Amino acid sequence: MKGLWKYMSPFAPDQSGASAVLYDLGGIIVICDAGGCAGNVCGFDEPRWFTQRSAIFSAGLRDMDAVFGRDEQLVDKLVSAADNLHGEAEFAAIIGTPVPAVIGTDYMALKRLAHKKSHLAVITVDTDGMELYDAGAAKAYMAVFKKFALEKDKAADLAAEYGILPDDIELIIGSTPLDVPKEGYEAGNGSSGLKSGRGGLKPGGFGTGLVYIKLSALSRKNIVTAPSGLPAARYLKERFGTPYECRYPYIDSGDSVLKDKIASRFFKGRKVLVIHQLVAANEVKKLIEEGTDGDCDVTSATWFSRSKELVPDECESPVLLKEEDDLEELIREEGFDVIIADPVMKKALREFDGEFIDFMHFAVSGHSD
Amino acid sequence: MSDKLSYNITAGELAACEKIPRELETHANMVYSSPATLSFNSPGATGFGVKRAGLVVPGSVMLLVAPGCCGRNTNLMEEMPEYEDRFFYLLMDETDLVTGRHLTKIPKAVKEVRDHLESLGKPPSCVMICITCVDALLGTDMERVCKKASDDAGLPVRPCYMYALTREGRKPPMVYVRESIYSMLQPAKKEPATVNLLGYFSPLNDDSEIYDLLKSAGVKKINEISRCADFDEYLTMSGANFNLVLDAQARLAAQDMEKRLNMPYIEMRRMYQADRVENQYMSLAGATGAVFDKTKLAFFKERALDAIREFKEVCPGAAVAVGEMGNADAFELSLALLRYGIDVPVIYGTVTAEEMPFIRHIAEASPKTRIYANLHPSMIWHGYSDGDKAGQIGSDINLTIGKDAAYHHPGASHVLWSEEVQPFGFAGITKLFVQMKEAVS
Repeated sequence: MKGLWKYMSPFAPDQSGASAVLYDLGGIIVICDAGGCAGNVCGFDEPRWFTQRSAIFSAGLRDMDAVFGRDEQLVDKLVSAADNLHGEAEFAAIIGTPVPAVIGTDYMALKRLAHKKSHLAVITVDTDGMELYDAGAAKAYMAVFKKFALEKDKAADLAAEYGILPDDIELIIGSTPLDVPKEGYEAGNGSSGLKSGRGGLKPGGFGTGLVYIKLSALSRKNIVTAPSGLPAARYLKERFGTPYECRYPYIDSGDSVLKDKIASRFFKGRKVLVIHQLVAANEVKKLIEEGTDGDCDVTSATWFSRSKELVPDECESPVLLKEEDDLEELIREEGFDVIIADPVMKKALREFDGEFIDFMHFAVSGHSD
Repeated sequence: MSDKLSYNITAGELAACEKIPRELETHANMVYSSPATLSFNSPGATGFGVKRAGLVVPGSVMLLVAPGCCGRNTNLMEEMPEYEDRFFYLLMDETDLVTGRHLTKIPKAVKEVRDHLESLGKPPSCVMICITCVDALLGTDMERVCKKASDDAGLPVRPCYMYALTREGRKPPMVYVRESIYSMLQPAKKEPATVNLLGYFSPLNDDSEIYDLLKSAGVKKINEISRCADFDEYLTMSGANFNLVLDAQARLAAQDMEKRLNMPYIEMRRMYQADRVENQYMSLAGATGAVFDKTKLAFFKERALDAIREFKEVCPGAAVAVGEMGNADAFELSLALLRYGIDVPVIYGTVTAEEMPFIRHIAEASPKTRIYANLHPSMIWHGYSDGDKAGQIGSDINLTIGKDAAYHHPGASHVLWSEEVQPFGFAGITKLFVQMKEAVS
């Protein structure tokens, strides 16, 4: 039945994706909810919550707030929260949930009102809890780059202030905890991740992440590690002419059965299904094909965005999964020897008798190892 | 960093306030869900939120009908063996939101869930439909939808309202869900000398004196939903003479059962002041005409007082931080500790009008006790700034009670006091002080 999930719990929602992007940029992040959505972000979808401080707040909406659309009260709370941060917040971000989606919140008006009263730069992300994390992350990336990316001359001044050499800058877009292993989001400086060979900023500081966004005009090349980063990479190419490439450089990180199997040519002559976000799935597909000199049949599939740019060959179009039934049907019809996916999917594959290789995806299972 | 302190107020200052300061009112501020608060503010796997509570009915399964975000953290529960094959999701999309068509899908989904479980050899006893803020705003008549689903599937189907928007209203989610879980009980012949204990989703400690005392007063059968082995046993709760409400959040359920099942109820509450516990048993005896075994009552009270004395001997200089993430009312427990002569420099709690009587007594006993609002935005600085860490609150605390207090004072000894099996009465006091003694030893 369409919409009915019997084996797996829902994947990370769009507001979690948006929060992950904004997490270490040093703003006040207001999740426009009654408490549960913010609790879900902080208690489940954001592994950094337990080790790295971020000013994520729930708007604490109550039924009458929603019924009467008390935006003024919401903004007053935001101003009060900003006061409690003693000027440390560089901006405010308001992230949508199902509640504003139902009551039809006017984000543009809310943004203007919040800016007027708080004197902070304000962005809004119109997530609704019904889309998946990558949609929310993509919206958040676009919002911050549009709002904060400086023109080249001003970016050069700022880089000089921080002692960063422009030639060293490569921007990594997409490396949030929802998409990449710990080594990935910790190696990049911040969710957007500015990679700087010399004199770069230290990662993880409260608010330092926004600097990388401001300097994006200077990037030599942007590396897109997840489909959620693609719209922003396209935008930066159009605005600054920065080239980009889609690459997932994290397969080698840590001890991985997958890495070892690729190295040992385990996949030779086998029919393989790889399920992940598409940049990662394509990377694995490529490595397996290279490792077996093409003597294998690899299909990549995803529950998430399937941009045309991530489909290099029309004949081998990745499979877009929407429902649990789609997965069961695919497995039944294709007769794969090996499935490489997050282990939470095993529950939906009770009849699969081939080999299952774990390929963690936090946005799916809430685990990265 | 000196100005970056979390908002706090002394008990003396708070008691003198004409009304509760705005900083302490949860609805008046943004909510900061620090790791210290997650279990009670947005319960996932720890503690009982609506989803876990709804599944306390034996053999039940849950169908969450909501946007995906509402079911996301259920993953944590699904990893526990007792919840395997018990959660299902009917995910809403934007069209559902606009048209409400998701409601028409529910009966079909319930049947599919039933068939699926039957194919696994695990037929459900009932299906709990969990709905969320979206349907609260849409004004969904879930009773009608559940009746249709029940008629179609041939098994009980009941709603669980996970309406976070109403958490400070008359019927907050944790009150509503207590009503839901008893709503399948139907009028039945009364069994003499039988009582239901309402309020918790897990049983009381086996050694709670309430069992002995009730039995000494002639009660033959004591029912708790969490001890029911199967759905049939759950249904026998309909035959009880009366309900004993041990948590005020079950009052609405008791009122509903009084109306539907002609089952009266009496309220008690969990307390840590030994004299109050004794008074409460006396009141219960008065209200029911029961005669408790006074020797037993005295024995249990003395055992609790012994545990307190032993702790004080082992740790004469105890300075305790009390939190709200545990099996106690933070303010009542703090007052109890102060009355036993134990210092409580800090309390983490949610101040409401109902708590003010305790706070006034705390102010009399210890006016300088500092009260922090766990959810206030300024708690972002708690434990980070020099002021908080070094002098203002941290250094003198050598014992914490509650998971939140433990988080805020990592250097102290800890009694998390958040086991699922519930402490109650003198046995609860005894157990707490034994654990406190063990922690500091």
